[in-house]
Amino acid sequence: MPVGADLILHQEPDPENLRNDGAALGRVIEHTARRWNTPLAIPLMDLRLEKIDLLARIGVSAKDADAYHFTVPLDDATLATLCDEKAGSSCPGSTARDEALEYIASKPDLISAGMAIGPFSLVTRLMADPITATAMAGRGQAPEDSDDVRLLFQCLQAAEAAVHRSVRSQIHHGARAVMICEPAANTSFLSPRQLKSGSSIFERLVMEPNLRLKAVLDQGHCDLIFHDCGELIDPMVKAFAHRLHPVILSLGGSRKLWEDARLVPSDVVLYGNLPTKSFYSDGAMPIEEVIRRTEDLLANMNACGHPHILGSECDVLFVPEARDTILKKVDAMMAVTVPAKPLLKADS
Amino acid sequence: MALNVDLYDAILNGNAKKAHAATEAAIAAGVEPMALIQESMVPAMDEVGRLFECEEYFVPELLLAGRAMKGAMELLKPLLTAAGQKMAVRVVIGTVKGDLHDIGKNIVASMLEGSGFEVIDLGTDVSPENFVAAVEQRKPHVVCMSALLTVTMPAMKLTIDALQTAGLRTQVKVLIGGAPVTHQYAKEIGADGYSENANGAVGLVKNLLAGEAA
Repeated sequence: MPVGADLILHQEPDPENLRNDGAALGRVIEHTARRWNTPLAIPLMDLRLEKIDLLARIGVSAKDADAYHFTVPLDDATLATLCDEKAGSSCPGSTARDEALEYIASKPDLISAGMAIGPFSLVTRLMADPITATAMAGRGQAPEDSDDVRLLFQCLQAAEAAVHRSVRSQIHHGARAVMICEPAANTSFLSPRQLKSGSSIFERLVMEPNLRLKAVLDQGHCDLIFHDCGELIDPMVKAFAHRLHPVILSLGGSRKLWEDARLVPSDVVLYGNLPTKSFYSDGAMPIEEVIRRTEDLLANMNACGHPHILGSECDVLFVPEARDTILKKVDAMMAVTVPAKPLLKADS
Repeated sequence: MALNVDLYDAILNGNAKKAHAATEAAIAAGVEPMALIQESMVPAMDEVGRLFECEEYFVPELLLAGRAMKGAMELLKPLLTAAGQKMAVRVVIGTVKGDLHDIGKNIVASMLEGSGFEVIDLGTDVSPENFVAAVEQRKPHVVCMSALLTVTMPAMKLTIDALQTAGLRTQVKVLIGGAPVTHQYAKEIGADGYSENANGAVGLVKNLLAGEAA
């Protein structure tokens, strides 16, 4: 199954308004699941919502939220407002997301899945220059030594609170699993050089917040689907798989899933990971190449025996004038089948 | 060649405070600003680029080095201006209309600055009209455009078309980059080049301008 709700949404006459219409959005998500014959109803990957809801608490409008960044350390009152556990008002997109979950939850043959940005990825959207601050923290600078590092950890506090509020709301509205998207947890933000020399930055900014988030999901009897399409090193994959222990681990197109299988417990399903970001271009990714890569992936996953769901490397986004091209390739990908690995004969 | 080892090492290690101090000391000792740039700072950034290419350094190290370089440049710029000197190559950079994802663009801008180019950063969500206006007013040698989303990529072509319509296309080299962008796409829309990372972008600018000069 692809993460394909955005493609299906853009079949509708007024897709932008549908984002804010819970019932209509629910039908789009249902249609997406049924089109590719999966019970897992994955919603739109709209990773702006938590930031919009968070910044609304300090009076930033939804229109300005995307471009809004903190540049200096927050005062105590602002931080307290951002971190307040009480649910505040939600933007129309978040309300529609929750209503769509209720709609899907009413369909007994579908599994209602929620969606939220991961805490660290939200931090990177709250700061103007998150990489430098992360790198400074990674080389040992403390919040007391640097305003950038201080802001980084303040943003982490605020981001965690925002993601917890979002996830709790989605569980309340019927999510049985939530896809947490942490694409910023990658080697562009977290230097492998620093990690190799013993820095705990990956632990402090990514693992610890996501372990706390996993505890919130566990408390709500909700499964974790963990998605990270960024460039990763093996210890990152291993940490996600073993310590977060999601039911599904979704990785980006640069990973060879059959090689990653050795890093992942056998009860964690690997998901992905055709390079769907290139599907818009027949030059970069002709349909024959899509089919070849799909066959290759399925054969390798079949050979390694690790549980796998064929899918996209990330959200398959609609591209103006290329929707049909993309859809044709997604359909071609999903039509590929590889014979199941022959079962070994039982010992006689 | 008079390498200022303290400044070179400070940039290489991404230590902004030490780079600042070494630059101040060099200025106080009467070292020519342009000599500092060409003989110590640019070689340091070249080495940073080399370490990135061989995967000893990663993006965070690039940015720390760029930040150290930028801090040193801030001290030198007024002196260069007073001496009537300016950077030889000017680059205009921005994310295209509809795209607010500026991390990649910022890294490229930082690396270009670190390599001694004058960078005019137009920011995010830059319309074709604003790119055209910047080319008209600032007369850059190169325009760099970034898009992270497949949905905003078509704005790259619109910008190139707008430069063409304004009669400016032949005056500038156009480079594009961003996660979904490919060589093939660059060719399709008539860009002069594409790079998949910041260090490659610096090399590409140098190569394109060297080709033009040849």
